[in-house]
Amino acid sequence: MKTLDRLGWAEGMRVYTYGVHAGVRVSTAGMLPQISQLLPPGWKNSRRATMQRLYSLVVAQNGQRAGVRRMHILYADSDRIARDTELDQVLAALETDLHRYVAEASPDMTFLHAGVVGWKGRAILLPGHSLSGKTTLVREMLRLGATYYSDEFAVVDDSGKVHPFPRPLGIRKDSTYAQTNYTAEKLGATSGVKPLSLGAVVICNYKAGARWKPAPLSRGQGALELMANSIAVRNRPQHTLRRIHKLVRSAVFIKGTRGEANESAASILNLLSSGNEQEKE
Amino acid sequence: MKEGEYPRARLDCLRREFGDEVLVYDRERNVGHCLNATAAAAWKHCDGKKSAPELAKLLTQQLSTPVSESVVLLAIEELSQARLLVESEKPVRRTSRREAIRAIGVAGAIALPLVTSLVAPTPARAASCLPKQSPCVSSAQCCSGNCNVNSGKCK
Repeated sequence: MKTLDRLGWAEGMRVYTYGVHAGVRVSTAGMLPQISQLLPPGWKNSRRATMQRLYSLVVAQNGQRAGVRRMHILYADSDRIARDTELDQVLAALETDLHRYVAEASPDMTFLHAGVVGWKGRAILLPGHSLSGKTTLVREMLRLGATYYSDEFAVVDDSGKVHPFPRPLGIRKDSTYAQTNYTAEKLGATSGVKPLSLGAVVICNYKAGARWKPAPLSRGQGALELMANSIAVRNRPQHTLRRIHKLVRSAVFIKGTRGEANESAASILNLLSSGNEQEKE
Repeated sequence: MKEGEYPRARLDCLRREFGDEVLVYDRERNVGHCLNATAAAAWKHCDGKKSAPELAKLLTQQLSTPVSESVVLLAIEELSQARLLVESEKPVRRTSRREAIRAIGVAGAIALPLVTSLVAPTPARAASCLPKQSPCVSSAQCCSGNCNVNSGKCK
């Protein structure tokens, strides 16, 4: 770390987000506006002197020796975590690592890997692994009028309410892993602000041509599915179980295989349409 | 009664009740289990001192419905498979799901004991990540937590 500290750093920023203090420093001036776009939504400047995690980005300079590949290098504390000739790739790695670190280290919130929308004043959670189609389903629900909360994390507080994590939706092009980011507003939707009680948890995977016929899950089974999508359950199992317990008090759980998102999205929203509308946003 | 002869629940697991069900987290193996009402009731009474007939009697009282020894044996089997019982030196008498259903009959009023298990993910696996062989520049991007810097692909 001392070696890194001795390098010349052009600028840096201290960030406070979801109870976590993190820092970013870069070797080239003028990059902070670009980096601030990658930070978790709702971040604020931190005044703390010591950071829980410090990212150091060494940006390759023009004019280095011909024939030598210019590498941009990213460190998290003293560990080199990314190295590439494309700066965008290294910045994407910064975003991934920072978001995951915050999700794992947040003392205030419990992070579940799930898409989240608000509907009729309640939250609908779509937990699932990568490439399970969460973002596609969230996008379809937004088209039908739902409020955007997240396509990545359900953020749960101590009272069991779900907070927004409205990072831009990462929409994948067919058969590639490359994502293009779209804000909810760009897709014609609005992002939620108010924490919501949980209304429904929908566990589904995509299969082309499948018909959406979900089966109900018990509260215990649903809680187990949420546990299996908790970021910090291995490090803080007791804390995670307590939060899940509070979260699922009055939720509906269903599980099934879905085909195209338009069919299942409408059906899922209908689950809550006849439900409690008192907690309007 | 001989010590180790009868099933004993592990006490080192975390547990939370969800109505009649119990969610159990095994910190040693990082596995979560959901025990339905019958399995949960059986697990609670497995103290290493009660035989299957005694457990059946207790469950009958607790669940207010007749619980046969076959159901208890099936619960022990399910709990044992999930490693929620202390391993005993002597093999515990077991039964299969099929045998239990046959013994209870289709009109049995009680839900058969059921333990559902899911592995708790690592942080890398729990968040969005890239599968094997997809392009990467950082191990944080890969589900495996391992990006091969030379090939630029997730291991």
